[in-house]
Amino acid sequence: MLLNFDRLGWWKLVLIGITLLTAAFLLLPILFIAALSFGSSQWLIFPPPGWTLKWYQELLADPRWLESAWTSFQIAIIVTVLSVLLGLVTSFGLTRGRFMFREALKALFLTPMILPVVVLAVALYAFFLQIGLNGTLTGFVISHLVLALPFSILSITNALEGFDKSIEDAAVLCGASPFEAKIRVTLPAISHGIFSAAIFSFLTSWDEVVVAIFMASPTLQTLPVKVWATLRQDLTPVVAAASTLLILLTVLLMVLVALVRKGLKS
Amino acid sequence: MSKPFLQIRGIRKEYGPVTAVHDVNLDVAQGEFLTFLGPSGSGKSTTLYILAGFEAPTRGDILLNGETLLSTPSHKRNIGMVFQRYTLFPHLTVGENIAFPLKVRRLPKAEIDAKVRDMLKLVRLEGFEDRKPAQMSGGQQQRVALARALAYDPPVLLMDEPLSALDKKLREEIQHEIRRIHQQTEVTILYVTHDQEEALRLSDRIAVFSKGVIDQIGTGPELYANPATRFVAEFIGDSDFLPCDLVTAANGKAEIALAGTTVIPNVPVHGKPVAGGKAALMLRPERLRLMRSAPGGATAVPVTISDITFLGNNIHVATETARGDALAVRLPFGHEAISSLSRGDSVWLGFDPASAHVFC
Repeated sequence: MLLNFDRLGWWKLVLIGITLLTAAFLLLPILFIAALSFGSSQWLIFPPPGWTLKWYQELLADPRWLESAWTSFQIAIIVTVLSVLLGLVTSFGLTRGRFMFREALKALFLTPMILPVVVLAVALYAFFLQIGLNGTLTGFVISHLVLALPFSILSITNALEGFDKSIEDAAVLCGASPFEAKIRVTLPAISHGIFSAAIFSFLTSWDEVVVAIFMASPTLQTLPVKVWATLRQDLTPVVAAASTLLILLTVLLMVLVALVRKGLKS
Repeated sequence: MSKPFLQIRGIRKEYGPVTAVHDVNLDVAQGEFLTFLGPSGSGKSTTLYILAGFEAPTRGDILLNGETLLSTPSHKRNIGMVFQRYTLFPHLTVGENIAFPLKVRRLPKAEIDAKVRDMLKLVRLEGFEDRKPAQMSGGQQQRVALARALAYDPPVLLMDEPLSALDKKLREEIQHEIRRIHQQTEVTILYVTHDQEEALRLSDRIAVFSKGVIDQIGTGPELYANPATRFVAEFIGDSDFLPCDLVTAANGKAEIALAGTTVIPNVPVHGKPVAGGKAALMLRPERLRLMRSAPGGATAVPVTISDITFLGNNIHVATETARGDALAVRLPFGHEAISSLSRGDSVWLGFDPASAHVFC
């Protein structure tokens, strides 16, 4: 290798320093929130004058927090299932189909990733007002699905492109119908892509706040919307506790992804 | 040959303006090992894919035991196939891969287990049933693919360049395995390759494909001794070509004039001979005799030696005629001429007109 880390001399220390600073830059706000959630002051003071678990007690005792968490979870699960199913059929079409404008269509499916979310939110809000979907679970699911689908299509298409179609052909000649061959051979072979699609779809919906603010009603709101609304009313450390739990779930999911990926590879 | 088992009747495949296969006709006997030999793009693989059902022919029919195959979808054709690329199911073990076609057919478990054991024994991979494909070498994977394709006793086994990803030594080893397995199972095999040596080693008969047409079908020795076209002559074995003039032609024999001087009668002629027209004389390098002086009475061409290469079991001598046409000669190791010849020497190359061929 051109740059050998072991032979860099004192540059090594500089590199280590930069790495540590970058890690701190990324992680400190999160650690800060986690610390505040255990702080005894009710004013989000740092450093906390003392330590307590009462904000967590308050959080878990409040049915509105649990309700919004349950709403978030429901929406995220439905979005995940739909996003993976739609992502699968779309990816098969995009990878295996031979038709005009295939590349253009592929790019079109990814536009929600680059479109400013707030533009999408306003558009969906205006449209849903017309057809009465604002403030409904269906409205939430559809709007989050728009955001999640590009991630799903991207990871499943990648997996499918790396899968040799001859393997599916071999299964067909072995006597499996084209559908059976896809279920029994192709899907297990691209399971890492399907798994990534599911996780990213779930996370996209689970911590999405911009579109959700537009979709929410006083009776139906997701956890991130609840966090945001509470922050605006009073700066209680309960928000920090809720945020910490949100982060914890996300971290757990990412660890799961890493573990499953490792398992699927070997 | 007994009554045809598999018949390919006027198969044609067009992709838009391009015709990949031109009206191919072929009869295959039961238990035969037939190879489609040709360069890439000659239509051999397309023909195989039509047999497998992955491509539909523009016209023509395929009959197995007198009944058309074309109306049956791929998964019901009961045909076995080994592909060019490794196609073992990556998430299943070797045993599960071989069991797959049997499970799809819903056979009882005891029967499946017994068959998997038989198949592993056939391809000599006993003890490998719990391995994943990724833990095996390319050669082993293709043997498992062969076992999987034979597990359901297909009447016909298709092989699409199954050894092209392997190195030469391994390829030869597995060619022997395939031969043994063919003799042991007596399955009818259609094999696609662009490697003439592989075709000669394995096949009962070879169909030489060129530009979507079968130029010639025959056993290896037949194709070698009596090539029907210049393409077959070039593709099977080594060959030298000399431009010549056709004097007369009748009953498959021609009288030719070489470089305007020597007139040679009784050379087998192919194609559409026109008296007075141009033609090419084909000679096999190993059948040329190298002589120091002009032979009395024998047919011979005067040449100058341009290079001598030692190749182990034989010696390759490159020569040139007075007109500048290249002519290669292969001599057995130890040929007396070698020790005393060198570049620039003038010699004569003698040949038997009956073993030469003229292509028009």
